[in-house]
Amino acid sequence: MALPSFPTYNDSLLDSVGNDDGILLPSLPSASALGPDFATALIRQQLALLRDSKEAIPGSRAIVRIPSQLDSSVLADTLREFGELGVRSAALLFEGGIGPNDRDSLMLRARLPRNWLTLALGRIEAYAVPFFYYLGFDIIDVGRALGAAAQAIRLWPRGYERVLHTEVLRYCPCHACSPHEDLSALSRDALEDVLIAHNIGVYRSFLSESTSSARSGQLRYLVESMTHSSPASTAMLRIVDRELYDYAEEFTSTCGTGVLALIGPESYNSPVVRRFREYVASRYSPPVYKRLILILPCSARKPYSDSKSHKLFRQAIDAGLGPSRFADAETILTSPLGVVPRELERMYPASVYDLPVTGDWDAEEIGIAANALAMHLAKFDKTAVVVAHVSEGYEEAVKAAESRIEQSIVYTTSGHPATSSESLRSLQETLEELTDVLSLKAGQDSENKEILRATADFQFGSGAGPALIPDSASVWGKPYRTIVCRVEGEQTCAFVASAGSLSLTLAGARRIAPLNRYWVRFDGRKIKGGSVFSVAVLGADPNIRPGDEVVVISPDDEVLGVGRSEMSGIEMCEFEKGRAVSVRHKVD
Amino acid sequence: MSIESLTEELHRLVIEETKSARGGSIQKRPLKPSGMPAAAWIADARISSEIGKALSIVFSTVGCAYARSAAGGCTMCSYLLDGTQRSPSPEELVQQFMNAMSKIEGENGPVSVKLYTSGSFLDPGEVPVSARAAILERLGNDSRVRQVILESRPEYVSHETMVELRQALGDLEVELGIGLESSNDLIRSVCINKGFSSEDFRKAVEIAKAHEIGVRAYVLVKPPFLTERDALLDAKQTIDAAEAMGVTTVSINPVNVQRYTLVERMWSRGEYRPPWLWTVLDVLRNSRKSVRDSINIVCDPVAAGKLRGAHNCGVCDEAISQAIRKFSLVQDESVLEGLDCDCLSVWRHVLEHEDFSLLVHNHGYAGQ
Repeated sequence: MALPSFPTYNDSLLDSVGNDDGILLPSLPSASALGPDFATALIRQQLALLRDSKEAIPGSRAIVRIPSQLDSSVLADTLREFGELGVRSAALLFEGGIGPNDRDSLMLRARLPRNWLTLALGRIEAYAVPFFYYLGFDIIDVGRALGAAAQAIRLWPRGYERVLHTEVLRYCPCHACSPHEDLSALSRDALEDVLIAHNIGVYRSFLSESTSSARSGQLRYLVESMTHSSPASTAMLRIVDRELYDYAEEFTSTCGTGVLALIGPESYNSPVVRRFREYVASRYSPPVYKRLILILPCSARKPYSDSKSHKLFRQAIDAGLGPSRFADAETILTSPLGVVPRELERMYPASVYDLPVTGDWDAEEIGIAANALAMHLAKFDKTAVVVAHVSEGYEEAVKAAESRIEQSIVYTTSGHPATSSESLRSLQETLEELTDVLSLKAGQDSENKEILRATADFQFGSGAGPALIPDSASVWGKPYRTIVCRVEGEQTCAFVASAGSLSLTLAGARRIAPLNRYWVRFDGRKIKGGSVFSVAVLGADPNIRPGDEVVVISPDDEVLGVGRSEMSGIEMCEFEKGRAVSVRHKVD
Repeated sequence: MSIESLTEELHRLVIEETKSARGGSIQKRPLKPSGMPAAAWIADARISSEIGKALSIVFSTVGCAYARSAAGGCTMCSYLLDGTQRSPSPEELVQQFMNAMSKIEGENGPVSVKLYTSGSFLDPGEVPVSARAAILERLGNDSRVRQVILESRPEYVSHETMVELRQALGDLEVELGIGLESSNDLIRSVCINKGFSSEDFRKAVEIAKAHEIGVRAYVLVKPPFLTERDALLDAKQTIDAAEAMGVTTVSINPVNVQRYTLVERMWSRGEYRPPWLWTVLDVLRNSRKSVRDSINIVCDPVAAGKLRGAHNCGVCDEAISQAIRKFSLVQDESVLEGLDCDCLSVWRHVLEHEDFSLLVHNHGYAGQ
């Protein structure tokens, strides 16, 4: 129910409202010419009206209309005041293009409290439903479905049809259309009814696809596929990736199952991809004894080690380096993840991404990979040697990074595919030579420990590796199954290959607790049951993302349990409801 | 802050923007006044209960004092751009009048003469008292003239002036056209920046009535910042209120987008759409039923069917505009019946959806 703007509302209007209906507070249509001051006055007026109404409009049912021109600091201040009145819903207006007002409204979306009900009003195309769902809108206006029906327009997932001006109408199997052989023969009112049902059906199916994709971790993929419905939706997603990365990344889970399809440029900066690149850049540190960095191409099959190509590489590496293999840091070059250190190949999303592999890279991909490679190699000793066993786009990426690489680089493919026998022979010979040149010694292969430490650093930040897996740790298991780590007879963590991540024990949790990361402070001394709910969360590391391994601590910093986060750290603090952590181990 | 002070703040911003939209347009008008009126035309018109000719004269003057003042003028109006920067002399004004009157040479009557100035005919700063007296005297002496209508803001309506009108015009039918626009004080001030209250209007009606001078209330259809439905409801309410205040004629004026106005700024950003002709039609039908028969209801939509005027889909605009003009002459609502078009359901959708979404369903919306 919307209160009228100027004929100032009177209480009797509210008599017709059901007890559960939301009440949209009165405002005015957007007037961008009048600027932010006008927007400020409009939102303040809603606040004053709500205050004055006292009982008549309960705050819990009021919906604030946020003018797109509103200054973000005014937004924060007024929302706090609305919050004090019990308001928990806000509506933003979209005009249906990529005009400045719509951009402004999108930016404001990211600044709304995470636990508020959020409405997208205005003209929202059916194909934009996944996008709005992705941005966390709870209620999406389908007015466009009705408006189109009034114009005798039948909406389709892509495009639309003017029923009265189209020679050959498309076939539609939906329950609304199928009973009518010839839509254009219907009376205007009958046609409008059919089209309302059909058009709303299109919205419904997009919504249902969105919710089900969200459950299966494929929502972002759906949003990316919808960018082809119109240039405007492509532009909107680009803007969101550029301007609202922090907002979208916070809700992006750090784990997942099933294939993650990264089809084209719209994936290059998706939160899960960009975050992986940033974590590798900021959290991964190579073991000090690496003297050789071997750059390999990615493979279609994941993890890379299971692929035919990487099995061939492995044979050549084993033959070339023999017992000195431990000194070699394998680095897989890939788009759009950049670089994947061999130790992290089972980490999400490196373990599950899939993309069209043709060997052709576009300029943006080359730039992304070159940048990631340059940053990665800067972490190694300058006297180490880089062996680039790559061709085509991969080779272009290495060449693009060359000027920023301080180590010497040896190329081993000379124009042949990396898996060709010539290239493999060349790789083996190069490694043999380098064993001599670098006088590499024989040594113990410590692949398991390297995986554990790299994974620990990746999950919990630098320093977690040494804390959880000190030199004294004993480690056993297989990279493709489970690796268990014990310190002083006590298990600290286990690497689960299928998830690519570490799960902590209580002892492990105590070891990383001093790092002050990935903690959730629980309001109590003991966790009852298998979950920590957000209502009992006193504070949490803002870096926590859904799917992270987290440590639950007491108000005085005692470790109470470990588990998997079900929401972001900030959400845990702001939400009044919902499961924050699924607890795996807890103190009895 | 209280709602009242916030409303004042909204109003202040509207004034600022209105002035900014006007920019230097007032100073760009021609300097030199002339002996020709800005415009003059003849049309069929309803005079009391018969149909005759109406001569409309738009005097070229220095223009509406309110629009020139620091108050900024109305948000939708730049009629004063028809005038000149310097005031014409009384002689020039009379000459303008005479030039216009030459258009009805040979007409036998009944004739209605409408005196417009793009401001207030009764403002002595715009039309000097001597010029006014001369013009009125000539009208009073012309036997064909049955009715005189002149436009003025209410602040210039006084007993003294009414006496002057009556003396010059004898027992001719006289009406003052006054822009009530909306009976809602909030809408009239914040959306229109009209600069007077309902009470000011009501008093002017009362003063005029004491001298048996009628008032023709101008009712604005769709001031800026209102949704189509709010605009429709406001116009209906205003007409009823005007009747209650004792006006003799209601003139319904759908907003047209004039240059250098706040409305034009909003319109060019897609944030304002002039009213649908369906809205105008609905207002007319409704008011003819609700208002007593002795009150004429007239409407001559400016720029009807154009993007800057009240318009529908482009297919039905001409037929509806014609019906509206015909209705103004015959006052018979049956001429408004039987109009139909595919866009009627679009309009119904706009009434509903614009209301809760506050999305302006502008001309870009109707098409794809």
